[in-house]
Amino acid sequence: MSAQLAVRNMTKRYKTGEGVAGINLEVAKGELVTLLGPSGCGKTTVLRSIGGFLEPDSGDILIEGRDVTKLPPERRPTSMVFQSYNLWPHMSVYDNLAFGLKIRKMPKAEIREAITAALRLVRLPGAEKKYPSQLSGGQQQRVALARSLLLKPAVLLLDEPFSALDAKLRHEMREELREIQAQTGLTMVFVTHDQEEALSLSDRIVVMNHGHIEQIAAPAEIYDRPESLYVAQFIGKMNFLEGVVEEDRVWVGRLDWPNGKRLSGSVKVAVRPEDVGIKPSSGGGEGLAGTIKQIMVLGHYADVSVDLGEHGVIRTFQPKEAIQALQSGQRVDVSFAHVLVYPAH
Amino acid sequence: MKKKELKQAALGLLMVSPSFVLLLVIVVIPIVRSMLSSVTNEAGGYDLSRYAFLFTDPGMRANILFTLRVTLVSCALVLIVSYSLALYMRFSSGRLSEWIRKTYMIPLFIPGVIATYGLMNLLGNHGWLARLLLPLGIDLPRIVFDQKGIIIANLWFNIPFATMLLSSALAGIPASIIESAKDVGAGRLRVFLRFIFPLSYKTFLVALTFVFMGVIGSFTAPFLLGPNAPQMLGVSMEQVFGVFREHEQAAAMAVFTFLLCSVLGFFYIRNMAKEESGRL
Repeated sequence: MSAQLAVRNMTKRYKTGEGVAGINLEVAKGELVTLLGPSGCGKTTVLRSIGGFLEPDSGDILIEGRDVTKLPPERRPTSMVFQSYNLWPHMSVYDNLAFGLKIRKMPKAEIREAITAALRLVRLPGAEKKYPSQLSGGQQQRVALARSLLLKPAVLLLDEPFSALDAKLRHEMREELREIQAQTGLTMVFVTHDQEEALSLSDRIVVMNHGHIEQIAAPAEIYDRPESLYVAQFIGKMNFLEGVVEEDRVWVGRLDWPNGKRLSGSVKVAVRPEDVGIKPSSGGGEGLAGTIKQIMVLGHYADVSVDLGEHGVIRTFQPKEAIQALQSGQRVDVSFAHVLVYPAH
Repeated sequence: MKKKELKQAALGLLMVSPSFVLLLVIVVIPIVRSMLSSVTNEAGGYDLSRYAFLFTDPGMRANILFTLRVTLVSCALVLIVSYSLALYMRFSSGRLSEWIRKTYMIPLFIPGVIATYGLMNLLGNHGWLARLLLPLGIDLPRIVFDQKGIIIANLWFNIPFATMLLSSALAGIPASIIESAKDVGAGRLRVFLRFIFPLSYKTFLVALTFVFMGVIGSFTAPFLLGPNAPQMLGVSMEQVFGVFREHEQAAAMAVFTFLLCSVLGFFYIRNMAKEESGRL
């Protein structure tokens, strides 16, 4: 399979010593890949290198099999949607959209047609004559998206495009972007620090940390089987307990699991809140003994925190029905349906 | 209720009255008096003979043309140099740009008269530059007591301020605007012509207005560095006023200079108004 976009062994170091190293990434045609990580992890550096705004110190960037590493942004088949100040304030929406097409020498009638269609696609029909200052933040980002879509880039790059918008609008834009991607079949690389955004949007997620890639996988895979402790901490809610390996089993108190990763000594045991089961204490000593600290009802489920004494406090998500029999201060037995084990360091 | 409003109005008037009185005494009355005196002829009647003299007297005509030429050349050179410096500082991060950033304001802190005498020492007939170039066999053309001297002085006086204005305008253009322009395929020239210049055009016009007004009404540098004839209007005005004691004629020259400035002012205001209505 030839990748639409390939980044090979890319390294970029800034004078401050920060940067990215050993980045390898392949994106298939029509795929939406998210670069996810905390600020300063290097995700934007990777994106800007793909767009041509940064020159990597070493490594190659190939788009549709062609080496573009040395090309300036204006000669790359990429288009970027920036975080903010995207539109050109001195041009109307029409001129903003037409600018790139005029450079490409498209006939006027075709430009007009393409712009009408693009504005309809981003749900802003009839906005041609407006100026960016007359549009809301969400509308501006839609026009910016339309501007990039019109150029039919081989790879569309999005640099936290929705992070300046409020939560409700962000959700809507996510859905719209998903629809647009389905309609146009564009290849997209999306940078975000919002894991929820990454999980909901992506075909695959690239989790980054301190300038290197921790894991590349589909959202469900990343959520269910995070490869490293870092990914486990970063993606979703997770409880961590101190465990120990003895007799080739992983132990936390009375609970034990097979030692699949062949670890030894002390380990970290991670468990998702939804994988924690609790039931009123039978006194018989099943599972870990704990005391309910707090119950927060969050709609169709409840967030129940349980004090496990020496093992710390963990959070659990319980269905609405289950909590009717529970109250804070109650003694409970806790069990884990599914755990992940990582070396402790 | 009525009484309260009246009281407030009176208080308002009272509060603006000091500045109004100051403006009236220092600006408005002298302007009106100058205008009146400029239309007073030698017999004490009123006509436009003082203005007619400005355009019929060969010396005066030469002065006006000389002033306009020096002003236009100075404006063009100042803006070219300042804009280039501002662009360089905005888009380059090398050591040279850092050095320019640190030093370009220095001329603003040197008093005008001192700087002018400094230029005379540097560029004069037997100045340092001439002495430095002598061993190389290069003969300098006349710079001091010539329009070149005035123009060089104007560059010295006006470049720092114009550069400061233009750099702040360029700094106000977000990087993502320029990057997105490159991203859709615009080369350097197009980025400049379609983005950087239009987005700093307003400030460019402000800088032009400042430089134009400053140069056309300048006195120190043309007085000390300029030729005896033709003279710039500021110098000539002083001569007519102080030496020839023809106050009415000097007033006519002042009004004329003011009219020249107001032409630029008109363009400036019209452009700002157009910009405003274009946005709404």
